[in-house]
Amino acid sequence: MGVTESMRRLWVITSLTLRYLLGTRRVIAMLFLSAIPFILALALAAARVTAFNSDLFQVLMIPLFLQVVLIFVTLVNATTLIREEIDDNTLPYLLTRPISKPAVVMYKYIGYLVAVLVLLVPPIVLAYGVTEAYQGTGLTSDLDVLGGFLVTTVIGSAAYGAVFLFISVIFRKPLAVGLLFGFVWESIVGSIPGDVPKLSLIHYLKSVLKGMIAIGPMTTYRSDISAETALLTLVGFSAALIVLTMMVFQQMEFRQKA
Amino acid sequence: MTAVAEAAGVSKWYGEVLGLNAFTASFGTGITGLVGPNGAGKSTLFKLLIGQLHANQGTLRLFGENPWNNVPLMRRLGYCPEHNQLYGWLTGQRFVEALLRLDGMSTKKASTAATAALKVVGLSGAAHRPTRTYSRGMRQRAKLAQALAHDPDVLILDEPLSGADPMARVQILRTISEFAKDGGHVIMSTHVLYEVERITQNIVLIHNGKAIASGDIHAIRALIDEHPHAVRIETSHPRQLAQALARMDHVVSLEVPSEDTLLIRTRKPDAFYKELPGIVADTRLDVRALESPDDSLEAVFRYLVG
Repeated sequence: MGVTESMRRLWVITSLTLRYLLGTRRVIAMLFLSAIPFILALALAAARVTAFNSDLFQVLMIPLFLQVVLIFVTLVNATTLIREEIDDNTLPYLLTRPISKPAVVMYKYIGYLVAVLVLLVPPIVLAYGVTEAYQGTGLTSDLDVLGGFLVTTVIGSAAYGAVFLFISVIFRKPLAVGLLFGFVWESIVGSIPGDVPKLSLIHYLKSVLKGMIAIGPMTTYRSDISAETALLTLVGFSAALIVLTMMVFQQMEFRQKA
Repeated sequence: MTAVAEAAGVSKWYGEVLGLNAFTASFGTGITGLVGPNGAGKSTLFKLLIGQLHANQGTLRLFGENPWNNVPLMRRLGYCPEHNQLYGWLTGQRFVEALLRLDGMSTKKASTAATAALKVVGLSGAAHRPTRTYSRGMRQRAKLAQALAHDPDVLILDEPLSGADPMARVQILRTISEFAKDGGHVIMSTHVLYEVERITQNIVLIHNGKAIASGDIHAIRALIDEHPHAVRIETSHPRQLAQALARMDHVVSLEVPSEDTLLIRTRKPDAFYKELPGIVADTRLDVRALESPDDSLEAVFRYLVG
């Protein structure tokens, strides 16, 4: 009974979350932003840029996709998850049902992950397909590049989502704080020499890419962390932050907004 | 069971703002109206009862349990919030169904229960329309439907008639009354006194975060000794009757507002009603009707809050 009921609750909250994230007008902007890698690949192919190959794909995708698109899409979606329910006064409908607050956080986070991966994965695959088709080496010749970017997309969505979800339960205006973290902290800390970049998520994502991609510009990235360690660190970080968010949310009070 | 909910010295503050101030009251079985002006602390009390706030001081119990983060207790309550927001993209049917599935119901059971609840509140005709197209009255009824669809033991209704049109009001009040007739308990807040007066005599009056009176409306009224109780008497000889009643030491004023009406005010209504038949018999004056114009919730509330 317990498992069946939990699965029903998971399904309902995940479905509501998906509808919330993918069914509003905001999704149009998110779709456009997520499609930027694909649009860029198409543009380079259409312009017949001779240097357009797997290496250029990596060079463009790291600053453009990992450091802008991924952060912005996860920021907008993760900060919306619970904060908008609080602001819209719809949270009481969920919290007056026999479901714990930590479960609400977990189910919403699962819904978030599904939603952002629906947005982010297809453009990456399509951009890779265009690149490979253009350079004419066959779709499977750089699968390590595709694999690297897919893994970093999944784990990056999980890690940034956990950070932004945590920020959204702590701060009333999470978007501003999230922008500071995503674009100021991550850029500055990630670019300081020495061990300081270890305080940024982007360093671990780049370390994953370095470890997974055999040839190309990422192989020269300066990191002493293996892909496995970086991956485990990001997984552990995400899990810890989600647990922390659940604990904070469990103790949160919800005063009705006027 | 004597009390559905009990509050003992409950205080809740938000920074420097006091939401509840040593609130003490007991909410018995059946329907209880929580009556107070806007900002009195009604919504704060309800948020405490549904476990979304926890008290800074005092003890609050719903069915003998502390509601704060009490997940199993949520099965026993149905809550209708004051605000009108719903998941606008969902139809009324899907809205109620989704929330019922959070109670652990199967899809089929949830669908049947949602259909039944929407029928009870008179929303069957609009069940398959997105709730964003609903009027305020329809939203109130949809909120009520989701609150009662899982057959809870108690309904906690925060201003359920706010913004509702006359038809919706009738439907909502009828639904609440029938829920109580079937053995359910209702705690309902309102700042419009006559609304609650129609369906219950049990009230808790709240003002500035404090319970200022509770119990049966008539009993409360009797407690207000410092506020004279008015009685309007229809008689063809108001002046003669006034002369006879003036001998009562608890009568504080006598007026003759019209040729066949006498309005008296007494500090001891019980004694007045006991002595009146004797006086009428002795003086052989006709008394066609007795009415207590201020024996209403409005009067009680006005007196108590000054």
